[in-house]
Amino acid sequence: MKTNIGVFFGGRSTEHEISVISANQAINAIDKSKYDVTPVYVSKEGLWFTGDALLNLRNYRDMKAIEKMAEEVYMRPVHGDCNLYYQKPKGMFGKKEIAAKLDVVIPVFHGANGEDGTFQGILQAIDIPFAGCDTLSSANGMDKITMKMILRENDIPVVDYVWFTDRQWFADRDNLVSRIEEKIGYPVIVKPANLGSSIGIGCAHNREELFEKVDDAGRYASRIIVEHMVEQLQEINCSILGDCDDYQASVLEEPIKTKEILSYTDKYMGGSKGTEGMQASQKKIPADLPEDMTKEIQRLAGETFRVLSCHGVSRVDVIIDRATGKIYVNEINTIPGSLSFYLWEATGISFPALMDRLVALAVKRKTREGQKTTSFSQNIFALGGGTKGGVKGAKGVKA
Amino acid sequence: MSTVTLILLIVILVAAAADMFFVYSRDLMMLQQNSYRNERYLRWFNQSKESTSMVRLFCMVAFFVMALGRVPAILTYPVVLLILVWQAVSLATRKYKKPLVRTPRVNRIFVVMTLISAVVVLFMWLFAGMRGAAAIMIALLWISPLVLLGANILLRPVEKNINRKYYDDAASILASMPQLKVIGITGSYGKTSTKHYLHRILSEHFSTTMTPGSFNTTLGVVRTVREHLKPYDEVFIVEMGAKQPGDIKEIADLVHPRAAIITAVGEQHLETFKTVENVQKTKFELVDALPADGFAVLNNDFPYVASRKVGNVEAVRYAVSNPEGADYRAEEIRYTSRGTTFKITGGDLAAPLELHTALVGECNVSNLLGAVIVALRLGVPADKIRYAVSQIEQVEHRLSVKRVPGGLTIIDDAFNSNPSGSKMAVEVLGMMKDEGKRIVITPGMIELGDRQVEANREFGRHIAANADVAIIVGHYNRDAILGGIADGGMASENVIAVDSFAQAQQELHKIARAGDIVLYENDLPDTFK
Repeated sequence: MKTNIGVFFGGRSTEHEISVISANQAINAIDKSKYDVTPVYVSKEGLWFTGDALLNLRNYRDMKAIEKMAEEVYMRPVHGDCNLYYQKPKGMFGKKEIAAKLDVVIPVFHGANGEDGTFQGILQAIDIPFAGCDTLSSANGMDKITMKMILRENDIPVVDYVWFTDRQWFADRDNLVSRIEEKIGYPVIVKPANLGSSIGIGCAHNREELFEKVDDAGRYASRIIVEHMVEQLQEINCSILGDCDDYQASVLEEPIKTKEILSYTDKYMGGSKGTEGMQASQKKIPADLPEDMTKEIQRLAGETFRVLSCHGVSRVDVIIDRATGKIYVNEINTIPGSLSFYLWEATGISFPALMDRLVALAVKRKTREGQKTTSFSQNIFALGGGTKGGVKGAKGVKA
Repeated sequence: MSTVTLILLIVILVAAAADMFFVYSRDLMMLQQNSYRNERYLRWFNQSKESTSMVRLFCMVAFFVMALGRVPAILTYPVVLLILVWQAVSLATRKYKKPLVRTPRVNRIFVVMTLISAVVVLFMWLFAGMRGAAAIMIALLWISPLVLLGANILLRPVEKNINRKYYDDAASILASMPQLKVIGITGSYGKTSTKHYLHRILSEHFSTTMTPGSFNTTLGVVRTVREHLKPYDEVFIVEMGAKQPGDIKEIADLVHPRAAIITAVGEQHLETFKTVENVQKTKFELVDALPADGFAVLNNDFPYVASRKVGNVEAVRYAVSNPEGADYRAEEIRYTSRGTTFKITGGDLAAPLELHTALVGECNVSNLLGAVIVALRLGVPADKIRYAVSQIEQVEHRLSVKRVPGGLTIIDDAFNSNPSGSKMAVEVLGMMKDEGKRIVITPGMIELGDRQVEANREFGRHIAANADVAIIVGHYNRDAILGGIADGGMASENVIAVDSFAQAQQELHKIARAGDIVLYENDLPDTFK
């Protein structure tokens, strides 16, 4: 009996294709002598599919065609039902309903609907062991505003920021602009709060540009954050593996960029081998930094991971202000591209070993949760107490 | 036959069929509670009120009357009809403490019982008409246990075949997981508690599955392997129960344990084992099944464990009350209102291992000791053991203490009791004399063979020494316990004898006040009244 890992990828996000690549890398790395793998691809329309055709990257050139090569599947959001069901039962007389029984799930989504806790919520409702951040930490990690609020509350350095909603901006623009100019000062970066991979992000060096960039960001999201922009900027990334009780940091990487900030094209289309994605963009591993700075960044990354209650493998991106030497935590990716395997290989953990760890972490979390009391058999409708006629409301009834 | 009698006869046929449904279901329920074993069922039947029940007697008489046809039908039929309807209604509305669970097996037996009945009735109809058919239906109600046991026997090959398939499936699942560490636990008492404690401690360090609830038979283990064991599990804890010699060997041959815990060898199920020596031999079937590189953890507090030599595998002995000859001991045991603290010494321990737990009672210290030894041997770090032990929740119905709204403290020891366990429970009650009235509610202990009367009498004496009020449930042990209570000098106005558990609850509500402590000792299902 081998553990069957369900690897879910794709999804309704702007990073759909990247997720396909990350997932295929992960699936190839899983040790098939120890585990079975069931790939589940979520199309851009949100339908789920499984089948061997999903493992050939060429098949994704035509998104419609791949749906015909695979079988549509679904899971029931029923507690304890870990089966993957065929949408159309196969076999004679339609007897084969179950495509696979999943033991552990590893979500490899990037961006909205997969990395922000929505998918994790389904897994928690089913109560199937899974690797990676749960609903709470996924949501907090994805939203740049809540993330900064939590880190600031825990004395982890973040740049100054102001946040608001698109409608607030419309109603109260002058106030917000004053606040931005007083509290932060130009230049600033404007970002939608919860999208990934640099969509809707722009820099503003003056008021005109600020208006322009906020309007642009508002096309993509309702929550917007305006941050102090560090001009002489060095970006350093650090991956963390584990759970909030027991985690370790990887070696650091410095992504090399072409413009002011890494753009979508930089991140994903770098190099001549277009479809190879992440591996083509250039990185310096390990980053060339003094020892004490490396340690401090690893410490801050670990703290970020712990304070957000993360799980599995995440990547924390920090910014060094070259002018002052100060380090700020910029953001966390709770499901990093390629699961940061290249950082872990450089740290001494092979990709297959990384996948082993994720499975073990998933099982450990499920065991821990099982040790807490969660059922309280108290049917308030069956209690005898209360005055004549009617239930006063839960607080009024004595046991 | 006149129209009236004809109509009555037809209605009788219908009523008898309905009554059969309820009677067969009731009989099936008792068979289920006797583990589908005919001998056990018969033993229960002979001892219960069933064999001499008025309704059965009536059915017998009615059958002969109807068969012989001497008494005019117009007189007998209404009476018969009345009784049939009365029985059907009373069975349909009765609330059983442990009702019939309609498993596929139960349904199979029911179908065969129905088929047997249908064949017999049809046969009689052909030979003796409607009157004969009605008479034979009433006869079947009279001898329903025969139909039940007959169906059970007929189905034996079917059940064996079904079980064989499941067994082989479980065996192949286990064979595909050679890294799985299997730990067997058995003993006359304490095995379920020890299993829970071991599971909680090992879960701190390994992915662990245990046989749930009371799945301690071969079929229960087969079901656990097929339905609960996970492919990523590292440890499998198997509780092994025995109702007769050979039971434990059967389970051990399936799961191939690497380590074992024997928690006790004492006087339980003596009506099948007959002697304590047989109990000892059966429990040690688990140790005999261990491989040479395994180990056995044995509770030396029981003379029949301490005296049993073990040659095939390493024996690690532990004790709480008789530390002589034991490798590990529990010392400095202190009970407080928050639970128990104690230290484990001996074995490979460089320093005493200090533990704190919410559990009470010396038996729980002993159970924890056995579990901790296994955890140490499997490499669980000491701080994880300490943490896990501090988190262990009391097991419901096994000497668990809780405060309920209304100010009562309940000591719940409702599960299958034994002489030493019930003595300890009563002593825990005894220690709480400064808080309020100490009340015991108990039907006494069962399955003690020819020690039944003496053990319950002794129990009565312990009650007198440790409680202020005693409520004795049922008739099974009433005389013995009341005798012991009188021996112990408890005033008779503090002793209440009731027929049922529901009545005991009513009496309790009359006398209980905030601050009182109530001990529920050994609560029995409906098989025993």
